[in-house]
Amino acid sequence: MTEERGERVADAAMCALRGCTFEYAGAAVRALRDVDAHVRRGEFVVLAGRSGCGKTTVTRLLNGLAPVHVAGALEGEARTAGLVAGRADIGAYARVVGSVFQNPKTQYFQACSTDELAFACENAGVTGDEIRARIARAARRFGIEDLLDRTIAELSGGQQQRLAVAAATMLDPDVLVLDEPTSNLDADAMRALHDMLAALKRDGVTVVVAEHRLAWCADLVDRYIVLDDGACVGGYDAQTFRALPAQRLRQWGLRALDVGGASAQVRRKIEETRARRMAATGDADGTPVLSVRGLRVGYRARSLFGWKRTPTFAREIPDLDFHAGRIVGLVGRNGAGKSTFARTICGLQRALGGTIAVDGRTATRDELSRAAGMVMQDVHYQLFSDSVRGELMLDGGRARCDAILGDLGLLDNADRHPMSLSGGERQRLAIGTALIANKRFIVLDEPTSGLDHGNMMRVGALLRALADRGVAVIVITHDDELAAQWCDELVEFT
Amino acid sequence: MTQTVERAAVERAGTTSTVARTFVQRDVAVGDARVAIDPRVKLAGVAVANVLMIMHVAPVVQMVAVALLSVPLFVAGKARAAVRMLACYALLCAAQWLVQMHVDALPWLHIVGLTANGVAMMMPCLVAGAAAFTTTRAGDLVCAMRRMHVPDAVVIPVVVIMRFFPTIRRDYRMIRHSMRLRGHAGNGLALLRRPVRSFECIIVPLLMNATTVANDLTLAALTKGLGTCARPTSMRTVRMRASDWAALAVLAALVCVGAAFA
Repeated sequence: MTEERGERVADAAMCALRGCTFEYAGAAVRALRDVDAHVRRGEFVVLAGRSGCGKTTVTRLLNGLAPVHVAGALEGEARTAGLVAGRADIGAYARVVGSVFQNPKTQYFQACSTDELAFACENAGVTGDEIRARIARAARRFGIEDLLDRTIAELSGGQQQRLAVAAATMLDPDVLVLDEPTSNLDADAMRALHDMLAALKRDGVTVVVAEHRLAWCADLVDRYIVLDDGACVGGYDAQTFRALPAQRLRQWGLRALDVGGASAQVRRKIEETRARRMAATGDADGTPVLSVRGLRVGYRARSLFGWKRTPTFAREIPDLDFHAGRIVGLVGRNGAGKSTFARTICGLQRALGGTIAVDGRTATRDELSRAAGMVMQDVHYQLFSDSVRGELMLDGGRARCDAILGDLGLLDNADRHPMSLSGGERQRLAIGTALIANKRFIVLDEPTSGLDHGNMMRVGALLRALADRGVAVIVITHDDELAAQWCDELVEFT
Repeated sequence: MTQTVERAAVERAGTTSTVARTFVQRDVAVGDARVAIDPRVKLAGVAVANVLMIMHVAPVVQMVAVALLSVPLFVAGKARAAVRMLACYALLCAAQWLVQMHVDALPWLHIVGLTANGVAMMMPCLVAGAAAFTTTRAGDLVCAMRRMHVPDAVVIPVVVIMRFFPTIRRDYRMIRHSMRLRGHAGNGLALLRRPVRSFECIIVPLLMNATTVANDLTLAALTKGLGTCARPTSMRTVRMRASDWAALAVLAALVCVGAAFA
């Protein structure tokens, strides 16, 4: 451990945890065990560790949510800017700590973006004129003028997260606490978030980020605090941390500090795939499960009378073949048409032109929907039953159902309610529903968003197992590490 | 349908945002401090429309009411919705008129006439409701309610409802998509054939989603200090202007005329 732990340092610190042990109400395990940590004024600190290591709990102690509003038992003392968790009022915390959460879709309270920026100020009793001045200032500071006066639900995840950061700084807090802010973002959005945090750091705001993705903010970080299984494993200044072997980071469940290698590998695979498609003549690999020819995807807006002739969004898709047993990754920036393409090949929306064939025969929308399985990013939209087994029995017999549950490692949970499962288990259950219905190809939308290294590898292995069953696997992803290590082919959408 | 428009807007914004970011220095006008039509006038419109329906006013008064109450829609740039509602009302009137012409020869036309008449009677309410709730921003409504000294126990739920409204359509679409892929009720007809099962399939994920969102939202709102200040403020100033008073007078006159021709 390289940090000094004198009383005086802790007193001068902006945030300090002293011997913190925390247990969530109703949980049998301790989320934190005797954690000592501090963050100095103006410091940029990353709380690193795998999913479930306790880093979210630390952020909740820092912003005053735990132990009162997120109920639990706290031993030790957690202090932020002079406020003591459990004793200070949440209203006092709201003025000195800004908070940004993981899911951009569930942290805005207002429907309109400008109202959301005003929200914290209105609650604090700031006058109307002052609020408007502050919003104008924040918009200039972060370059988010284009996000004002918009319906937040219509913004992209990246835009929502930028708005969330701006909204969290409206009361000029001393500390900004972010809990896995990038788990739903693509590379461009991460860069935008990075720039906002850089501006805040320049202005002397203390920033604490709980993360297992390390690359996006590596140049800003002053110190890393590593947590594992609820205990503080160590504190490292940026230089020492960078010198640690990659193997060590992986043991802690962390993603790579430098994703340059993975990105280069992704580029190489894209080129290889393109070259192979150019060279391939006829069906050397047998009949593809799914093939698209001259496909145009998109949608039309509605006009005053009926539909508009010209589509509001249209993308030409290169001719593609998807074979059984292969994992094909679809990569590219947001808005390039990946999701629209996925919906089209699943028969969920009409193609603007071109043909889609399943097993060599041109398929109608209904036939596509019968052949396609999908694992959405929000898996809870696709589970309808009141037990795990019941979910699969909707489509098949008991014996097959149990066999598939066994393969997916869900048999022990067969009688539980799908909503009581963890995110990863729910994802596997959704895959199970596609397997039992004998789907020919399965599309997965961002299956590794928010996952630490170990879970990402687990999903990768699962994709491989799916492909080995003779399914064509299509995965939409921003995750360079997943794309580089597990995809057989990569297609870039531009 | 509007989903597609929304998505298109997102796409456009995605491409323009980098451009916009380069003009960081330009001055930003944050919304308009004033609101075009005071939300209280629109709420009064809803009340008047309901009174008119209960009073069974004469057709002429009804027509005038529908025309007047659709004005906020045009003012707020919702011409498409306004034209659609007015066209619908015109069809209903035409149907009633045609029925009256031919009802002696074909007595069963009474059913059509009665239906058209009933729906037409509801039209002022529908138009006023659309005007009040699709053209008012949540922030304005909140400010108006705070000025009327409505307690937070009413104000906060209203904000939450308006927050959830735009997301429900998206949730519903996602659920229908996954139902279609699972082979349940791929189209609308199948939905009607097994209504109970279909309802369950739609409502369960919707509620499950709402529960998780509500949890997250509560934490986010707490960290922004919701409900911790005795006197929360409003960014916008909602004030009754001359035009608003005039509009109120017109609404009052409408009720009087309606009472006279009931």
